[in-house]
Formats: sequence, C-alpha cells, structure tokens
Amino acid sequence: MAKWGMVIDLDKCTGCQACTTACDMENDTLPGESWQDVLYYTEGEYPSGQMKWLPRPCMQCEDPSCVHVCPTRATYKDHDAGGIVFIDWDKCIGCKYCMIACPYGVRFFADEKPLVEPDLKEVFAGSGGQLWDPPGQSPDTDYRRGIGVQPKGVVSKCTFCYHRVKEAPEGVPDLDEDDPELVDYVPACVRTCPPKARFFGDLDNPASNVNKLIGNKNGIRLKDHTGNRPQVYYLGAGAGIPAFQPKS
Amino acid sequence: MKNILESMFTRRRFLQTSGATGAAAFGAAGMAKLTGFSAVGAGGAAPSNAAAASNGSWKDLQMTKNICHQCPARCGINVYTYEDPSTGNRRVTSIYGDPGNPIANGKLCPKGHLGTYFLYDPDRFKQPMRRTNPNKGRDEDPGWEPISWDEAYDEIASRINELRENGEAHKIAHLYGRGWGPSDAGLYGDWGKLVGTPNAAIGHASICAEGSKHAKAAVEGNASYNSYDYKNTNYLLIFGAGFLEAFRPYNYLMQVWGHMRTKSPKTRVTTVDVRMNPTMAASDRYLMTKPGTDGALALAMAHVILTEGLWDREFVGDFDDGENRFSTGSTVDAERFEEVWTRGLVDWWNAELKDRTPEWAAGITGVDADDIRRTAVEFGSTRPAMAIFERGPTAHTNGVYNGMAIHALNALSGSMFAEGGLFYQMGPSYASGPADADDYRDGISRTMEGRYPRIDMAGTERWPFAGTMMQEVAKNHNAGDPYKLKMAMFYTTNPIWTAPDAPEWEKMMSEIFVVDTSPFPGETAKFADIVLPESTYLERLQDSPTYPFEGWPMTALRVPAVEPIYDTTEFGNMMIEIGKRIKGPTSDYYRQVDNVENLLKHLARGFEDDPGDNGVDGWEAWKEQGVWYKKPYHWKQHRGVFYEWDGEGYNIEMTEEEVREKLMPTESGKFEFDSSYLRAEVDYITQHLNVSRDRVGFPQWLDPEYTGGNRDLHFVTPKTPMTAEGRSGNIPQATALMQPSVGGNDRCYVEMHPQTARERGIKDGDRVRITADLGSIEAYVRLMPQNRPDTIILPYEHGHWAQGRWAEAQERATAPGNPNEMTENVSDPISGLAAYYTGRVDVERV
Repeated sequence: MAKWGMVIDLDKCTGCQACTTACDMENDTLPGESWQDVLYYTEGEYPSGQMKWLPRPCMQCEDPSCVHVCPTRATYKDHDAGGIVFIDWDKCIGCKYCMIACPYGVRFFADEKPLVEPDLKEVFAGSGGQLWDPPGQSPDTDYRRGIGVQPKGVVSKCTFCYHRVKEAPEGVPDLDEDDPELVDYVPACVRTCPPKARFFGDLDNPASNVNKLIGNKNGIRLKDHTGNRPQVYYLGAGAGIPAFQPKS
Repeated sequence: MKNILESMFTRRRFLQTSGATGAAAFGAAGMAKLTGFSAVGAGGAAPSNAAAASNGSWKDLQMTKNICHQCPARCGINVYTYEDPSTGNRRVTSIYGDPGNPIANGKLCPKGHLGTYFLYDPDRFKQPMRRTNPNKGRDEDPGWEPISWDEAYDEIASRINELRENGEAHKIAHLYGRGWGPSDAGLYGDWGKLVGTPNAAIGHASICAEGSKHAKAAVEGNASYNSYDYKNTNYLLIFGAGFLEAFRPYNYLMQVWGHMRTKSPKTRVTTVDVRMNPTMAASDRYLMTKPGTDGALALAMAHVILTEGLWDREFVGDFDDGENRFSTGSTVDAERFEEVWTRGLVDWWNAELKDRTPEWAAGITGVDADDIRRTAVEFGSTRPAMAIFERGPTAHTNGVYNGMAIHALNALSGSMFAEGGLFYQMGPSYASGPADADDYRDGISRTMEGRYPRIDMAGTERWPFAGTMMQEVAKNHNAGDPYKLKMAMFYTTNPIWTAPDAPEWEKMMSEIFVVDTSPFPGETAKFADIVLPESTYLERLQDSPTYPFEGWPMTALRVPAVEPIYDTTEFGNMMIEIGKRIKGPTSDYYRQVDNVENLLKHLARGFEDDPGDNGVDGWEAWKEQGVWYKKPYHWKQHRGVFYEWDGEGYNIEMTEEEVREKLMPTESGKFEFDSSYLRAEVDYITQHLNVSRDRVGFPQWLDPEYTGGNRDLHFVTPKTPMTAEGRSGNIPQATALMQPSVGGNDRCYVEMHPQTARERGIKDGDRVRITADLGSIEAYVRLMPQNRPDTIILPYEHGHWAQGRWAEAQERATAPGNPNEMTENVSDPISGLAAYYTGRVDVERV
C-alpha cells in the first residue's frame, strides 16, 4: 500500500484559494469549515511590509496528536488507506479534544453559528440526519472515514479525497492531474491548483515525483519538533507559521 | 465479524435505533429534497455504514462542457451531474477546469468551483414577472406578478412598435456588461439597425478597462486589449493590473505564473500598485506608488533605459554612429537617430523624457529613486521583457497618457509582436448567420439611421475618442440632453450600483420603462417594470470567442449541464423573440434567426472547412469538446524583422505596408512615440487636458485631477479574486473568503494604515464614515500597516441593497456602503474611462 503524501511549493503558490473552494465543493463543507484553508499573514510596514500565505491541509501525521487524545477512538490513522487520518462519524461524540490537540488547526466543528449568515444549515436544512443538505451534494458517503456530509455533532477534516484516491491504480508512484488516466483520482485541491504548486504521490516509493521534489528542494514539514511527522511537505521560501501575536 | 459488531454498537447507531420512529418520519420527509442518494433516503435514517456502502459514487457522474461566467477569463469547465431519482432531473454536483480548454487546462480559480451556488441560489427569479407597484424606489416593493413569456414579450414589443411608429425608436436603449459572443451581445448590432436606435447597445467598457485600449491605439493603432506570450518572457513589469487577482484570464495567469517562476531562466517580476496585494507580495520587487502616478514611474524608466543605452536597437534603431547621445537634461539632434519600427523617439526625448529622472519620479510617486533605476536597468537589460497594465493606471483623468508611457516600454524593449512579448487576437472561423439583416430593413430603420446621436454621446464632439460612455447615460437622460429615453433593457450590467454617481440612475430608471434580464435579484431589477430572468450559465447554450489570450483564434461553447430548473431562457432568445414581434420585415428576419441554437449551428458550419486543432469540425463536435481553436498566431517580429506564417513556419518576410495594414495600423505604420491618433484631435485634447498643442502626441506626465478637493486620503476600490461579476455578495462561500487580507471574513473591510487611523482616533474594527464631495458611506476598518498612509482601500463587492439574502444580511448592505454612490462621474477625456480611483476622501469614526 502506498503512503500518500502531498508536496506544496510555496514558490509557486499564488495564495488564490482555489484549493479551498475545490475542496469545499468536492467535500460539501460549509463556509469557515475549510478543510483546506490558506492562512494569510502580514508583517512589517510600508514601504517594506510583507504579505505571505500558507496553504494548510490536514498533515495526515504519521504520529497524529488527534488520534492519541480521542476518547472514543473515532479518529484513527489508516495504514491500509495510504496512512490517511480519518474520523469515524459513527463513533465521534463531538468532544473536540482532537481540535485542541492538533498542532495545525485542521479539524472543524461546523454545528455552531456561522461567520456568514443566514446559516446555510438553515437555508439548505439537513434531512436524514445530515448537518445540512448542500444543493449540489457529492454522491460519495462513507461515515466510517468521515466522507460526505457529516451528521450533526461531529468533527470533520480533510480525507485527502480518499473517495477518489482509493480508486487509483495499484502501485502508481504519483497522482498527477495532467495525466488524463489519473486526473479523476487526484485530490480536489491538487487537481485544481492553477500554478501547479501541489503534488500528490507515494512517499514510500523513492522514485516518486513527490520524493524527488522533497529531495531536490529540501522539503520541510511544519512544526517538526512536535514529532507528528506530517505526510505533507512544503518547498520554497516562507514555509513556516509566524508566532502568534495577540492584538494589542 | 469484528467490524460488524463494532458498527452495530457504535454510539450513533444506538441513538438512531432508540429514536427510530422520529428518524424514519424525518427521513421520509427529507427524501424528496435529498436528491440522488437513494440509499440514504431509502433506509429512512441517517447514512450509516451499511447504507453508505451502496451510496453513489463520483464514478457515475456525467459531464458536459461549459464556460465559467464569473469573470471575463472564459475558462472551459467540465460540469458534473447525476440524475435525481426522485425527479428524473439532473443535478450539478461539481465543476472542474476542462483539461481540453487552452485557458483552463484542467484548472480553476477560487470562484470557478462555486458555480453550483449560482445555479441553486435560492433567491433566483423563477419566471417572468411584471411590476404592479407604479412607484419605484429602494424601499418600494415592486409587487411582482408572474406572467408568461408571451405576455412579457408582447408587452415589450408593443412598446417598441409604438415608439418606432412615433419616430422615437432612438429612445429605446440596451445596456450590457459581460457580452459573450454572437449568440447574445452580438445580436445587438442588427437589432439596433432594424429597430432604428443608435442605443443598441451601450457597452460597459467605459466603466471597465477602456483606458488601455486607447493608450494602445494611440501609440500603435490597435484599440484592443493585448495577447501575451507569458511563457517565454523573462521579465514582467506589472502596473496596476491585479495580475494574481483580477487580470484576465486570471486562472491561466496563475498557471503561467507557476511556469514563469520555475522555468530556466526564472521570469523576474516587478509589480507597481497602490496597495499591498498578492501580486505585489509574490513579485521579486514591489513599488507602491501614489494613485494615478504610474505614468511618472514609466517615464523615468524610459529615461533610464535610454541614458543607459538599453533600448532594443533592432526594433527601435540607433544613432548613426552607434554612440549613445541620450544624456539627462540634454536635447538630442533628431537627424542623428535612425528609427526602424518606431517614430518620434528623439522628439519625445527632447520634449518630455530628458528631464524625467528617477529622482523626479520619486517626488511624484513616493517610490524610491534607486528602486526605479534598478527596475529600469533590469527591464532594459533582460530580453524578452514586457510591461503590462490595465485599469489601475488608466482609471484616472491622465489614464491614456499613463498607459502610453507604460506601453512605450514595450517598444523600447522590442517586445511588440516578439516571442515573449505582446500582440493581438485573431477571431474564430465562424460561418455567417441564418440571414443578413440588411435584407430586412424597413422605412423606419432607414430613416432613423444617423438621425440621432447615442444617448451617451460617445463618438460625438463631446467624447470624440470614446466608443461607449455608459456612465453618461443617466446623467444625459436626467438633463434631457441630447434627449430623454423611454425604455431601457439591461443585460449583465447593473450601473444603478456600479456606475460612478450611481444614484443618478435611480432617477432615470424611475422615469422610464425598464426591463432586467438577470437570473438574480439586484438593484436594476428593483427598478424594473418587467423581469425576464435569464438562465444561469450552467443551464445555457451560448458561444464565447476568447478575449485576447495568446493571439490564435479560439471560441468556446456553453452547453446546458441541466435543463433550466426554473422558467428561464437564454438572453439571445429574448432578443430574438422580441424581434419576432416587431412589425414589418424585422419580424421576418428574426423568424429566420429563430433561436440561439439555430444561430450557433450556422456559425459552426465555418468549422467544417477549418477544423480546430482538437478536431472540432462542426456543431456536434463543438458541443462535445466545448471549444474550437487553431494555433498558431500568424505573425512574429524577430530581431526587427516581421514575418508571417505560411502554414509551416514564420517564413514570409513582411513589407512595411503589410505591417501597417495587419499589425500596427497607425498613420506611419510604426510605433509612434508622437501619436498621430491624438494629434488628430488636438483641439479637443488641449481644451480638456492641461497639455500644450505641440506636446499632445507624446507619452507624458500629466497631473491626475483628483476629486474631493482638499480631502487628504486617496480612496481605491479594487477588484479581488472573489469578485464574481458582481454576484459574490450573495454567495456565502465567496464572501467568507474575501479580504482581511486576504484570508477572508464576513465582508469587505476598509484597509487603513495604523498611523492614518491613529490621527483620527480610529481603532481596528471601528465603524467609520468615508466622505467625498458626493456623500458618505460607512465601513468597518482593518488596520493594514503594509499600505500607504495616504491611501485607503475598500474592495468593491458589498453594499448591495437588493441582491439577495446573504448580500443584505449582517449589515453587508450598508457597512460597507456602495463606494460608487460617492464616486464622482469624472472620466479620462480621451478614453472615456471612468476615473474610479481618483477620488479623495475624509474618514472619521462613527
């Protein structure tokens, strides 16, 4: 089985957030429930100020903090599914421990009052136990892996679009969206990325393009000191999260 | 076995079982709504592991071709649908870029994916409607009553017939924004000719980006946007184009950005803009200039390129002995310089450039002189290098002169029509339509021709250069000069909100019969007498020849992904149906055209003799593949020689006359640093701009005329990546990703430097009042130390007061208010482009 990994080249990323909306629509998430968010930071002052950004999917850690803290074992690392970290919505009790434990802030609880009103959950009210009924809901649902529209009261997260990735041909080193044979299996954020700043492939295959990119451009993992060992690597300048500065 | 036991005793299934009765009833009620996921509904309960196993899959989706409608880029999209078993209708579930479309290449921008929300916007108009409340106003309920299409068309046509018979056909106007091709806005020309009005149609270019076209027309004869060869350029100098935010085609620009920034050699980028934004941030260098002063920067760069001897000898020419005589402050003997493809370089130097040093420009722009010099040297010493610009530098009273100064850099670098440079766009191989309108003209049509000027006075002595002046329509109507309109029909435009001094339009639209054709509620519809709701783009059949892209011809097609979910149709069909009801031969013409599909099938016959590179050779293939295109672009300038494509290569060397005819149609057939286009209207220009007669033709520095008197803050209202043709305000996903800055929040905020805020007692998050001569709006503040202290920024998107539930909730209709209410209706006298970014304002805490 492959170990799926993602590489994000920040020298190419334009911060456009197409990854965010592609994910929103593929996975039917709510505004603010951006499994694949782009964080923006500013520093300094005119005329030498900076604006920078960091696209942030779930890191699918090899040793995920979220799994350690989950009291119902709802969240788990699935080595049979490329090492993706899933949430079993049949087991999740919505306690949010995992959200606090995650060093990367990539877990979401969408039941609360939304940022943008009126609440989509009321306008497109959920039926059959769903949190809401998105008007163009995607067909795939797999509660055991947190795929589809969640029921009420659970945490949701990026699945590396496992409902697509799982159909990829066995043994393929990389899922490249420019390959017509593979495009449908590529995670939405990678598939749409206009500057092609994202790459998806098998980290266990030394000959995969993702491993070559990591090797050639000295890819790094965020917050490596935590020992979480993400399966997401960053290339280029600006791969870091500035220290939090409370507003004065 | 273990798995089964586990799933049986999970907490969720326990809860479902214990609440079985309630859940079953709820599930059944929800079934009709819950679309195609039979297993979910069939179980009568929440999706469980067992149910999920038999759920649908993306593998079963069907795909149709379409073109995104959320910006001018015209990206081909693959629209994925499934059949809803409860209704038998198809539903759209996802949208991805079309890998076979040369603009999209399988990719999309952040807006593109959200198209599903446009289709399923719950606030959409659902059928034609007639106003019952005779009073019009922001707070007046139109009192809509549903009517049939026939009733709507008959009423509109009877009004047109009456106006025609009374000799008032010119009082009928069409106004349009995003026109796509012959099957929608392309119908206007013949419609106006047959009906007898000069006002079909008033386009929106003058409130969009008309300035760059006139700057280009002035120096090299093409009143057009450019095509660009970004893939092969090694230096990109961007002036106020929003390259990674709003320049067209945005999606492709990001694709090519990824290429440029990783190719060998890496394309170096300098960006000039008036605010911090992603393009500035992603560039190698940014120069933050004062609004309206881009021309000064460009002139100083030209000065450095000449004094440093970095111009392209093969395109521009050289001194007769090869010695560079361009020296700061000194005039040069024009006789000593032998020009090749340019005219007037030395005259320009002597009249303007010789004193335009970086130090001079620093004083005007606030940009450090050393940075200007470094940029100029880099630009001048890199090939290919191109300078691009759009609305930022040109939406000022000095816009055309700013644009000419920037575009002149493309002559100095020899990038006109060169590899890695810029050129123009070829049109598609369409066949002719079903009928020729000239065969169907009646007496009224002929009598009215040329009898009245357009209501906006474009192309008259008032605006001799302008092709369209939408922002003048309401003002002229209200003044009765040249006359008053009686009827106006709007298509993809909403000037009552977007035009400068927008409230003028409320007065006009209260007085006349208004037809709106938007699928969505909006301010125009609020003042409409009849609404003919168009289908959204995912339900439409419509063609779309490309905007200038890479030069070679291309045209894409919208194929309905689903049948219209409400009682709507294509705008083109509305024009044709109204035409069928005009008395006389006009109705015969429109019976020949018949409908949009018939028209498109006729056009597609042209592909039979000229199949596209993707094999598209007619109507069916076009529908299947969604695009026809044919590479390459037919002309190329290489080292000062122009060549034409002969079918195999650029092998035909062109004569000067051929270059003039096909590529640079100026008076001289050369790139003119002394513009004959402008000199032809020397009286007009000297009367309206502070330019002396002998200098009219030169790219030059001209102070922008800021509005707002002594107010001290520049007010800029840029377009952001999430601005979806004015509809993002009612798309909650888009609103959530807008600005602060630019990770998103709940609305657009006004950005302000902390020092500027402090001086006014304003803190982050405060609500403020922004005041100009025309009035005030309010907005919430975000401090942004990266912006200029003298410039505040409010992206335009919110402030819509009749656009739908999300647009109007949470004070988004009032905070921010609509900046166009206090934007003065001032335009560049040459291009006619509204000077949106030239306002100065005061700000105070509310």
